[in-house]
Amino acid sequence: MSKDFLIKFFQPKGKGKLWWMFAFIAALAIVSFFVDFGFYYNKAVTSLSLNLPKVKEVPFRQGLDLQGGTQLIYKADVERILPKDRTSALNGARDVIERRVNYFGVSEPLVQINSGSNGEYRILVELAGIKDVNEAIKKIGETPLLEFKEQNEDARALTADQQKELDQFNNEAKKKAEDVLGKLLSNGDFSALAKAFSEDEVTKGNGGDLGWISASDHQSIADIVAKMKKGQTSRDLQKTENGYELLKLEDQRVKADKEIKASHILICYQGAQGCSSNLTKEEAKAKIDDLKKQATPANFTDLAKKNSTEPGAETSGGDLGWFGKGQMVEVFEKTALALAKGAISDPIETEFGYHIIYKQDERTVTEYKVSHILIKTKSIDDILGPDSEWKNTELSGKNLKRSSVQFNPNDGSPEVGLEFDADGARFFEQITSRNIDKPIAIFLDNYMISAPKVNEKITGGQAVISGKFTVQEAKDLSQRLNAGALPVPIELINQQTIGASLGHESVAKSLKAGIFGLILVVLFLIIMYRLPGILASLSLLIYGLIVLAIFKLWPVTLTLSGIAGFIMSIGVAVDANVLIFERLREELRAGRALSNAIEEGFNRAWTSIRDGNFTTIITCLVLIVFSSSVIKGFAITLFLGVLVSMFTAIVVTRNLLKLIDERWLEKNSWIIYSSKKNKN
Amino acid sequence: MNVGWKRTAGLFIVLKKIKIKDMYQIINKKKIWFGISIALVTASLIAFFAWGLKLGIDFTGGSLLEVKFSQQAPSVNEVQTALSDLDLGGLTVQPTDQNGIIFRFQNTAEDMHQAVMTKLRQLAGGEQTANQLKVDGDVTVELQATPETGANQVEELRYESVGPSIGQELKRNAIYSIIIILIAIVIYVAWAFRKVSRPVASWKYGMAGVIALFHDVIIVSGIFCFLGKFYNIEVNTPFVAALLTVFGYSIADTIVVFDRVRENLPKSHQGFEETINTSINQTLRRSINTSMTTMLTLLAIVLLGGDSIKYFALALLIGIFFGTYSSIFLASPLLTLFEAKKR
Repeated sequence: MSKDFLIKFFQPKGKGKLWWMFAFIAALAIVSFFVDFGFYYNKAVTSLSLNLPKVKEVPFRQGLDLQGGTQLIYKADVERILPKDRTSALNGARDVIERRVNYFGVSEPLVQINSGSNGEYRILVELAGIKDVNEAIKKIGETPLLEFKEQNEDARALTADQQKELDQFNNEAKKKAEDVLGKLLSNGDFSALAKAFSEDEVTKGNGGDLGWISASDHQSIADIVAKMKKGQTSRDLQKTENGYELLKLEDQRVKADKEIKASHILICYQGAQGCSSNLTKEEAKAKIDDLKKQATPANFTDLAKKNSTEPGAETSGGDLGWFGKGQMVEVFEKTALALAKGAISDPIETEFGYHIIYKQDERTVTEYKVSHILIKTKSIDDILGPDSEWKNTELSGKNLKRSSVQFNPNDGSPEVGLEFDADGARFFEQITSRNIDKPIAIFLDNYMISAPKVNEKITGGQAVISGKFTVQEAKDLSQRLNAGALPVPIELINQQTIGASLGHESVAKSLKAGIFGLILVVLFLIIMYRLPGILASLSLLIYGLIVLAIFKLWPVTLTLSGIAGFIMSIGVAVDANVLIFERLREELRAGRALSNAIEEGFNRAWTSIRDGNFTTIITCLVLIVFSSSVIKGFAITLFLGVLVSMFTAIVVTRNLLKLIDERWLEKNSWIIYSSKKNKN
Repeated sequence: MNVGWKRTAGLFIVLKKIKIKDMYQIINKKKIWFGISIALVTASLIAFFAWGLKLGIDFTGGSLLEVKFSQQAPSVNEVQTALSDLDLGGLTVQPTDQNGIIFRFQNTAEDMHQAVMTKLRQLAGGEQTANQLKVDGDVTVELQATPETGANQVEELRYESVGPSIGQELKRNAIYSIIIILIAIVIYVAWAFRKVSRPVASWKYGMAGVIALFHDVIIVSGIFCFLGKFYNIEVNTPFVAALLTVFGYSIADTIVVFDRVRENLPKSHQGFEETINTSINQTLRRSINTSMTTMLTLLAIVLLGGDSIKYFALALLIGIFFGTYSSIFLASPLLTLFEAKKR
């Protein structure tokens, strides 16, 4: 009987197949080895200056608990948001948080929306290797609330008493102003009078000096001083929105940079900033070239209305109004400045797409150095108070696309530029068009930063907040605005922070535990099963190489529990071999020939291997689906381990065992089992 | 049996005493095994109802902060006094080895976490010296980030906070996954034994397997009740994962034995009980050896792994040990008990 099997076994075909299998296993092991230890291999090649090709280094993806970092789970409060808008609000919140955490330079921050049970929404933030978690939490949690408000003109009637009070106050102010004017006209010293009487607390100390102003920032004053001569002081009372102004024109000059009035046509393409068109870049270019051919000063507005992809162009005809240096994108500004009056530019490209520009007019800007004495008057607003002074508009921080620090072209003071999205641009246009000559206030966290007056309808979705900013303040504000207001309130409900040192310690400890565990298992196998034990140990090594390579290539995020799963799977991996070897011994004991027993051992053990691993697989799958990330790591590595170990224990070990010379094995059967046992 | 093996496995030495004619008489002594199991389960249930599991913040909600001092950590009293004016709620202070302290408290606000850290830094008194710039005329000298000698540094090793709502959710998820896995396992067992109806009805295999499984899980829980009571060891979500894995293991071990019973019964010339005893003996070594390899690796984690996975591995280790024990000494004897009643 044994002869038959030997013949069968030594058929070149059978053995050849075994060698092919062996070659495949070896190749798999070698590839895995290079994936696992590419770093060390490359290092060795370099340091020994060997003439060998290098391999690509693939790092392990370490979880937060290994590399240090923090995991934050926020509850998003969507109760006040209509169900249909919830998804978009949550996505918005995720984007905002992503932008905020990007400031921390964390590699691959993870921000994701999970829906928890009972319909709650969660936002999960993972920041690996972050130093200052507290700062990150603050940055994520802060909700700058940006609002644009217009004057509230609803139901603003004063009572008779209030009206009387107002009139009385204003009459007194007028008397006071006339009094100061009298002193001024009788050659009083302007600076001394300002110190004594001006109600502008900021300037009264330095003789009422306002510095250089222009029509764009102090329009009513600029209008008055435009009619005055250099060195002259006011000869009569002038009233502005603030009160009575007594002015002295110290100096005036014409600014080098002219202001331009222009319109443009924008053809944007897919991928350009704020673009909702689906033209490709090439199509957009072709279209703008075509428009350039058609355009004349006479038909420009119509062409813009019909073709421009700028939001609001249908009504504005691409009119940009008056603008100065520093208000537009650089390429755009240069082209516009260089154009002759009445000319239309060649197509230019900016981050928004392709433009052609029609320069309608240009003007010089005069700046005045002015001192003033202000005697304040009251308006209805002052009496009814700030509560009802402003009312909200449709426009808010959620319409903000981008904000940047700019410098006022007139005086170089820092400003914060705002750029709205398509909706925002439309709202802003509507708001400005109904508030011409009235202020629009910009509020941040309920605090008014500035209330610039609207001179004309503003299209194109650009606005500027100018206040008395320092450069740092402007930068901070711009950053906060960029970080954006969260569309949904969030609450931190779970935090897990692992210090980097603890992470490194865990890695070192797990490594030690893994190696120790491996040695224990190998010793156990060899003591218990002799030669097959050695072969099983070899296939256990191959198992390790393959699993680690899968961890790297998949990639599986390795967590502490994941490593525990992997270490445990070293023990599980040899389960199948133990089952097979035990069966093999039984078969031998039952008097089967060795080669036959090997086959039988492998075949008969299969059902037990399958059943045993199957329950583990079920458990792992349930854990992967139902558990938090900590457990998931364990379940995933154990799951992979079980699958790969079935391959190595059955295919690899069997292959190795069969490759050993059968006759030699028969002669030296002690290396498989105690021959004593045969007697049983 | 292998000589080397006898020395290494104490279990076999015990079994030696009941070895008759090269067979371990397990079924004959089933009253002993039932007695042991009933005692262990009863003790575990008493521990469970008397003390209960010491639930960690995963389930109760709250905060856990672990810090390490570069030098001698302040005493528990010092720390408690320093933190007494903060509204932390149920503060416990537990010193660890290596100058570390673990704090547990109910308040989960991030501000409170920062306030605690500030107090600890003040207590250590070493904060101000790190990373300072010393300006001396035009020369700027950067001091080392290492503390001056004598200064004690506090390092935050980890901080976890679990809001009450998420604690509830984790609890619920744990219960759901236990139920789902139980159902899956019962279905699997029913399927694995679907063809077996004679001489033992397949539901009896399933029943015996599931009883063995509860036996294992109850004992593991009981041991952790004990550890929680006397060693302050808490159970968190990983413990639940360990229990679930034990479910799988326990039932798999039992299936291996029953598989052999199923194979032997039709062709056996022995009586029912003897056949089962033979089957147990045939699978004994592999039941023990397969568990042994896994237990060895888990032992390595318990001994050498970090604190955070130590008890997870311990739960698995205990669970797998009893899983193996119950497949040999409980599940199969139970099978004979069921059959005996029928006859």
